[in-house]
Amino acid sequence: MPSPHLADAVGAHRERRADRVALSCCHQSVTYRQLDDLTSTFADQLDRLGLAPGAVVCVPAHKSPQTVALLLAVFRKGLVALVPSPDLGAEALARLSRQARAVQLLGADERGTLSAEPIPPDETEAAGFAIPDPDRTRLLLTTSGSTGTPKIVPIPADGFTAFADWATDAFALTGDDVALSYAPLNFDLALLDVWTFLRLGAQVLLVGKEQAADAGRLAELVSGRGVTFVQGVPMLHRLLAQGPSQPTVRQAVFTGEAMPADLLPPVFEAYPEARFHNVFGCTETNDSFVYEVPRTPAPQARMPIGRPLPGVRALVLTPDGTPLDGPGTGELVVSTPFQTDGYLRTALNERAFTEIDGRAHYRTGDIVTRGADGLVHLEGRADWQVKVRGIRTNLQEVEAVITTHPDVAEAVVVALPDDQAGARLHARVTLRPTAVLTGLGLRSHVGARLPRHAIPSSVHLTDQPLPRTSTGKPDRNRIRDDRMKETATA
Amino acid sequence: MTTPTPHAIADELRAHIAAEYLAGEDASDLTDDFDIVASGVIDSLGLVRLVSHIVTAYQVPVDDLEIKPEHFRSIAAITELIVRHSAPAAA
Repeated sequence: MPSPHLADAVGAHRERRADRVALSCCHQSVTYRQLDDLTSTFADQLDRLGLAPGAVVCVPAHKSPQTVALLLAVFRKGLVALVPSPDLGAEALARLSRQARAVQLLGADERGTLSAEPIPPDETEAAGFAIPDPDRTRLLLTTSGSTGTPKIVPIPADGFTAFADWATDAFALTGDDVALSYAPLNFDLALLDVWTFLRLGAQVLLVGKEQAADAGRLAELVSGRGVTFVQGVPMLHRLLAQGPSQPTVRQAVFTGEAMPADLLPPVFEAYPEARFHNVFGCTETNDSFVYEVPRTPAPQARMPIGRPLPGVRALVLTPDGTPLDGPGTGELVVSTPFQTDGYLRTALNERAFTEIDGRAHYRTGDIVTRGADGLVHLEGRADWQVKVRGIRTNLQEVEAVITTHPDVAEAVVVALPDDQAGARLHARVTLRPTAVLTGLGLRSHVGARLPRHAIPSSVHLTDQPLPRTSTGKPDRNRIRDDRMKETATA
Repeated sequence: MTTPTPHAIADELRAHIAAEYLAGEDASDLTDDFDIVASGVIDSLGLVRLVSHIVTAYQVPVDDLEIKPEHFRSIAAITELIVRHSAPAAA
């Protein structure tokens, strides 16, 4: 990413794996020879821009072989790439670029032509942001911004190397593997399903936004290209489970959110030859926990996030900050061999990171329970605990109860600010086609199972699916904002 | 003043609860015996507002009201409460 070594490794594959496919998308394939040629072309064009050594350039994460080649050229030339979502609005993109002191906005078209647009510096906007050290990092990712403005996270080059080593070993990856790259290129998931695979000389099948929700097309791609490795959010696996069985898949990775128990049997059937892992992590630390999911899970058992990866230190802190020795519940704090040195905005680091025993630990904000057997379960976000009339209420718990109603397909509960109650709960519920459930009926259902304060104050029942983010997670911010707009104009 | 019939009181309460506590939602199954407390439609803060409405709209003296959730459990229960406290004035 991620690292100069990666650019060298890909260059070396040109010699031994020249005619093997490196990258493909729905309408084109690029071999390692072509990838290296394309990378060299971009590297030459970068030279002509006359950039200072270690300069930051902004490369929006369009999911194309050309963008991947452009990033390899950036790594090779000793520059640092800021890789934001390609869907970011012009204003947000400009702000991120100025914060990272990016000097050029770069793009690569289908014919391999580089476009470069100078970005005027703005020291006011960059104040408080560290200058990325090209010896430490070549890649700046951002958080999703689900809690506000996206935060810029430098991915350490040696951290990527350690991560790629772990993944290669954990999933027994070789140059013969084919990854389905489903997540956007600006997500940390690409560190595994794009960059680790290219380091190995393996093949990466890039899924664009156009195919991301098309179950039929995804199934065709997986069987047509002989995909062996599938990593993604539950929605991806749900889509693939609708199609024919995929015997080429030998590793399936669940990530991003909790895998619903009802999805496991169809997924086991969809990949009859696969091993299954649930991995857990975030952009700041990369993966920190892994759990190998047995094909015969105990009925009714919640899936754990598992155990720390090798070299990962994981602490469970009580509310007063004391690490628990044995079993118990608290905030998860981790230190991984892959983690960032800190956000580019240095003021954020004091709260997000804490030094314990001389090692920087990241406060995940996740509440977990560690069992007597050492297995760790995710309970929810610390910030998903809200206070309704002074009583601590877990939004996820309310969601879970709502979804046990047979008429409910899916549900999201959000907290809205309330002058009197502190917070009040709003539920957005997608009903099944034959449902007869009403808003009052839903309240009674929740009231029969949870304390009163957990009953939503308002309920929006609909037959429409939940709004989702680009990675398929329910878009809680949008649901909350929509509701607040409705009530503001009411 | 004419004392409204229990039926009219119940209908007014239904409209009031639908407007004030179920803004914008379908309240067609808000029957007279639906438990508005156990279902969280009326919470402790809502109860205070509801009592205030009853005092104003039906001129029931607040001192006469026993403010316990069970008296406000359903539209039928509230109607019964209002009728009971209005009866002496009408006599």
